[in-house]
Amino acid sequence: MTHHPNHGLTRSLNRIVETPAALEALVDAAIGPLGLHRFGHDHDHDGDEPASDVEADVLAAVRERAGEVHETLAHDHGVHCVEFAGSTGGGKTLLLERLIERAPDDERIGAIVGDVAGEDDATRLRQLGVRVENVNTGKECHLDPMLVSEAIESFELEELDTLYLENVGNMVCPADFPLGATCRVLVVSTTEGDDVVRKHPMLVQTADLVAINKVDLAEAVGTDVDRIRSDVETVAPGTPAFETDAKNDVGVDALADALEDGREHDHGEGDHHHDDRDETDHHHHESESAHRH
Amino acid sequence: MHELSVAMGIVERALGVAEDHGAERIERLTVELGSATHVNPDQLRFCIETATDGTPAAGATVEIERVAPLARCTCGWEGDPGTLEAAMVYAPDVRCPECGDRTELVRGRECRLAAVEFPDEASPTEGPRPG
Ligand SMILES: Nc1nc2c(ncn2[C@@H]2O[C@H](COP(=O)(O)OP(=O)(O)O)[C@@H](O)[C@H]2O)c(=O)[nH]1
Ligand SMILES: [Mg+2]
Ligand SMILES: [Zn+2]
Ligand SMILES: [Zn+2]
Ligand SMILES: [Zn+2]
Repeated sequence: MTHHPNHGLTRSLNRIVETPAALEALVDAAIGPLGLHRFGHDHDHDGDEPASDVEADVLAAVRERAGEVHETLAHDHGVHCVEFAGSTGGGKTLLLERLIERAPDDERIGAIVGDVAGEDDATRLRQLGVRVENVNTGKECHLDPMLVSEAIESFELEELDTLYLENVGNMVCPADFPLGATCRVLVVSTTEGDDVVRKHPMLVQTADLVAINKVDLAEAVGTDVDRIRSDVETVAPGTPAFETDAKNDVGVDALADALEDGREHDHGEGDHHHDDRDETDHHHHESESAHRH
Repeated sequence: MHELSVAMGIVERALGVAEDHGAERIERLTVELGSATHVNPDQLRFCIETATDGTPAAGATVEIERVAPLARCTCGWEGDPGTLEAAMVYAPDVRCPECGDRTELVRGRECRLAAVEFPDEASPTEGPRPG
């Protein structure tokens, strides 16, 4: 970092000091009486290490929290956690229902739903015999890993094989808020138009997998599914896309298989941990492209 | 959309620093905000100003500095990812210009309290002052 919040001071010093290093030293010497605290610099008043990103960075702290959720679910308890994100009405809940219908009878499934509309989604899933936690905040525009970690406390994780998360219907916010799922499925539907991916590129970049849903309606609404598919590849290279019609249960097998493949969750390195912030970040970025280490 | 919760995280951190320094007032906050986030800088400033009301940071100057993304590829390439031309809103282009693989953003997703400045008279003391 080379900027100095006290621009006036920096400017006046600039006139007499040539090298940036010397300037830095002078400014550091001068800021004592001004009362300045800069994060990530060695003059941390504790004399300790510079403040970590998580200490100073609100979004890095969110990502770290998501890493902790992942650690608890996937690594401590072997729970396969899959998140569904996407617009309201895109088909997140129906796709979830289709997947649950396919699950073997002995698969123990839980779900955390954040749909702000009400109890509807929870009720639909409970009818399939799934343990459901409704984290209906009513005002949040997205789930965050803090909400998820509170919600998972009400599950017996030892007795769970799969946990589904249904995010709040929103194509923007979840991009900044990973939840700690091993796989984020972004559901886009043909009724949102064939520019849906180009309109929300940063959310697409956080998806591990895209489900292009309501393909049965594509022709009627004049949406080019191939265009959506090629946009996914442009915006988030290497992200697999599946075409589904959840209403008629078409294309869901391929999606289900891809999600099952992610269950054998392995980081490939015996000594891999997520406890360090760079690893957490790295991990979640990797997880954006098929979660491979 | 979620600037308020992010702002509260920033203010909380700033107030913690002020307390550590025994400062009664914060004069200026500097936030580094990555471009590859959905946090809007103007709304963030507004939310920070709102969230500081009635705290030692009330009335502080809020400075928001945009941080351009930096991408890194496993092939060894590192640099400015540039803007995704095909998209209708800003997004970094995460395809490696060298090998075509997907790159990783190593910068540009932060919302980080970078500096807290106190008034001249409130030089750091040993502990928090009463009041
Ligand atoms: N035609 C058609 N309708 C669908 C499809 N998927 C979901 N729907 C319908 O779209 C509506 C919204 O679906 P829902 O799963 O509640 O969306 P959510 O808000 O994303 O959870 C419901 O009436 C579904 O029956 C699909 O593939 N094709
Ligand atoms: Mg739903
Ligand atoms: Zn939000
Ligand atoms: Zn893992
Ligand atoms: Zn490369």
